[in-house]
Amino acid sequence: MAITRINVGPIHPSTHGVLRLVVEVDGDTIKGVEPHIGFLHRGVEKLMENRMYMQSPSYVEKLDYAAPLGWEDLYVAAVEKALGVETKEYAGQIMTVLLEFQRIASHLLWLGTFCNDLGQFYTMFMWTFRERAKVMKFLEDYTGSRMFYVNRRIGGLNRNIAPDFKKRAYEVTDYLDKNIKSYRKVLDANPLFMERTKGVGVLSRSDAIEYGVSGPVLRGSGVRYDVRVSAPYYSYGKVSFDVPVGSNGDAYDRYMVRFNEMLESISIIRQVLASLPETGDALGMPIRLIGPAAKPDEVVVRRELPRGEGIIYMVPDKQKPYRISLRAPTFINLSVLSRLAVGEKFADLFSILGSLDVVMAEIDR
Amino acid sequence: MADQLSKGSAANAARPYTEEELVNSEKEMTKLLMDSMKRYETKTNVLFAKLSDVTKAASKGILTWGRSNSVWPLLFGLACCAMELMDFGAARIDAERKGYLLFRGTPRQADLMIVAGWVTKSMAPRVKRLYEQMAEPRYVIAYGECATSGGPWWESYNIIQGIDQVLPVDVYVAGCPPKPENLFAAIMKLQEKISGKNAGSSERTISGNIGRP
Repeated sequence: MAITRINVGPIHPSTHGVLRLVVEVDGDTIKGVEPHIGFLHRGVEKLMENRMYMQSPSYVEKLDYAAPLGWEDLYVAAVEKALGVETKEYAGQIMTVLLEFQRIASHLLWLGTFCNDLGQFYTMFMWTFRERAKVMKFLEDYTGSRMFYVNRRIGGLNRNIAPDFKKRAYEVTDYLDKNIKSYRKVLDANPLFMERTKGVGVLSRSDAIEYGVSGPVLRGSGVRYDVRVSAPYYSYGKVSFDVPVGSNGDAYDRYMVRFNEMLESISIIRQVLASLPETGDALGMPIRLIGPAAKPDEVVVRRELPRGEGIIYMVPDKQKPYRISLRAPTFINLSVLSRLAVGEKFADLFSILGSLDVVMAEIDR
Repeated sequence: MADQLSKGSAANAARPYTEEELVNSEKEMTKLLMDSMKRYETKTNVLFAKLSDVTKAASKGILTWGRSNSVWPLLFGLACCAMELMDFGAARIDAERKGYLLFRGTPRQADLMIVAGWVTKSMAPRVKRLYEQMAEPRYVIAYGECATSGGPWWESYNIIQGIDQVLPVDVYVAGCPPKPENLFAAIMKLQEKISGKNAGSSERTISGNIGRP
């Protein structure tokens, strides 16, 4: 049969933003996928070169709008390294709790939209957003903002915890624990979900390493790599947690990795909360336009974001970065799409794309 | 009486019409017919005129009532604000219970375009095309700072400073991102605007150059 080219997007309900795919199909079988990106490009790196250090966190947050806290933390950690400031230990403990809550919220968002992509599992969308709303409310009450919490300051945080922080955090984790575990019963008993994820979009271990993917996509292929374990920061070195990995590298394994990560995050939060003092000083430097001058040294900081390993490479100038480069994990994760989708059916394209969990703002930058 | 009638009829039948009588009767008949038609015409015209007024008013009322209560948005998100748009349709707010949130995947079935996110120079022609594919009457909500004015990216080289440079905008929503509750308020404002309840309801904002930026 002749090869037909189909254009998908850039505006399509399942492309998670504005991604354009040019798909070559032979009948119903995909012969090639070519992602076209750049519809959200706004030159973040260039804009940040013209800003003082602490004017930029809100730019970085908008890279991954499903989990803004991770990028913000990554950027401020890079600035701290450039200025030679240590993060307060108490602030690090609180940040661990917040980052893990953010990871849960991000994975819940992914699960809801992924089930939607598989074909009108609108119930799962409603359920995951119900749970996500609890997490968002908790983070909102602590940071004062619903989605973009510019909460991190040089050396610490914007504010100390409220007296009922621990009590509320325990309540939210209990609620999440109960509800997230109940998803397994629904999804694993659903033949449609299993059919559309098991054995679909298999990424082999060697391919995953060669392409340089990270996060749940890498771990789904059986590589036990997590920055939280290999280069621990904050309280991650003091808590014990498992890094869930898959075995087959298909969409189902990537789902299972994210699912187990949520449960691991709950256990991390509980461990950190148990050792978290009721009072302490977590406050960082207030934002001033002129801060302490940075040392002229290259800075590289890496963190485990919900979607993979984020790296910031920065050449600091005195008051603002001379050059900043962001390694977006989803940009690299998207590059395996053209490898995974070849040979699959066209209907499975979006279960593969959904399982990679792309965020277009981070890819286009 | 019967005799007279029969006689008369017999006489009438017996006597042939003269030419004059025929012409006269014809004239009379036509006059009668014309009169009746006129009468009928005037009557029906009055009736129809009134009816059309009533139906026009009623249909306008029904149309605006229907339009304002079944605003179907286009399932279309650009950036961060699309997260809040999803939350708007999800469990906490569940806007569908109000009847005006049935997200459509195709622009041809949608009435409302919620521009949620920044619009880049490569995206603007595509957004405009989507708007052109929507059927009249169509409405636009600029949701968030980026769609309103370019937001934090206003000095970027690849951003247009607000969607109102490309499309006419009905309602602006401020915030970065605005809460889902704000979108609720914005759609209620739009409903007011469609039904003509508030002053200046037909106004729409277009700023700067329309067309390819």
